[in-house]
Amino acid sequence: MILGDLLGVDVHDDGGARLGRVADARFVVDGGPGQLLAEARLLGLVVSPHSAASFLGYERTGLRQPWPLPSIFRWRHRGSFLVLWEDILMIGSSGVRLREGFTAYSPALD
Amino acid sequence: MKPRRPLAPAPPVAGRLLDAQLHLLDRQVLDNDGVPVTTVDDLELSGPALDLELAPGTPAPVLTALLTGPVLGTRIFGGRPPSSRLIRIPWKDVSDVGVVLKLGVSGEHLDAGWVERWIRDKIIARIPGGRHDPR
Repeated sequence: MILGDLLGVDVHDDGGARLGRVADARFVVDGGPGQLLAEARLLGLVVSPHSAASFLGYERTGLRQPWPLPSIFRWRHRGSFLVLWEDILMIGSSGVRLREGFTAYSPALD
Repeated sequence: MKPRRPLAPAPPVAGRLLDAQLHLLDRQVLDNDGVPVTTVDDLELSGPALDLELAPGTPAPVLTALLTGPVLGTRIFGGRPPSSRLIRIPWKDVSDVGVVLKLGVSGEHLDAGWVERWIRDKIIARIPGGRHDPR
């Protein structure tokens, strides 16, 4: 599949309640060894309840400068969470459904 | 279930983390000589099948290719070109991800650079002095 089709689509829990939109996809370079880099497997999706657009990732890092941009972006992405691949039940053309009892992790990168 | 703050940190993983929007998309791609090839317009994954429930334990999809192509119009107005119109640079050719993405292969023979090569060979080469380095 093409990742662009997944970014921005709605995310629902197993009961159908809307949780937000896919703001990003997180990969981890720890798959099978490749020619130059290891395979990058999909670790999970970053879900944001308010905005799927991200700007420089201020909301996922501990950066505090330049004031007031990090605070604004962090507020814009309040409630964001990372859901791991294991907790994804279905990826469809119109949305993503999560498994019952999924775990929401912090989307922070550091 | 509604996620509540504060959230637990994600389980640690051994490899490097790459967020598609932050570390890959729109980054410049350089070949093994440091010559710009293209930019990353999109990414292709090995799966999963759309609209099908994933069985527990389904292996996570992996990145198979960086995609580039004629996306200016779709960037502005939405949508994307058909998959067949996109040019693929296999992930196995990527050697490093940093401020730019570096390839471990020469860009001279990649489809992604054909417009530049065509302009060089068919237009620039016909301009007097266009066949050698500027002095």
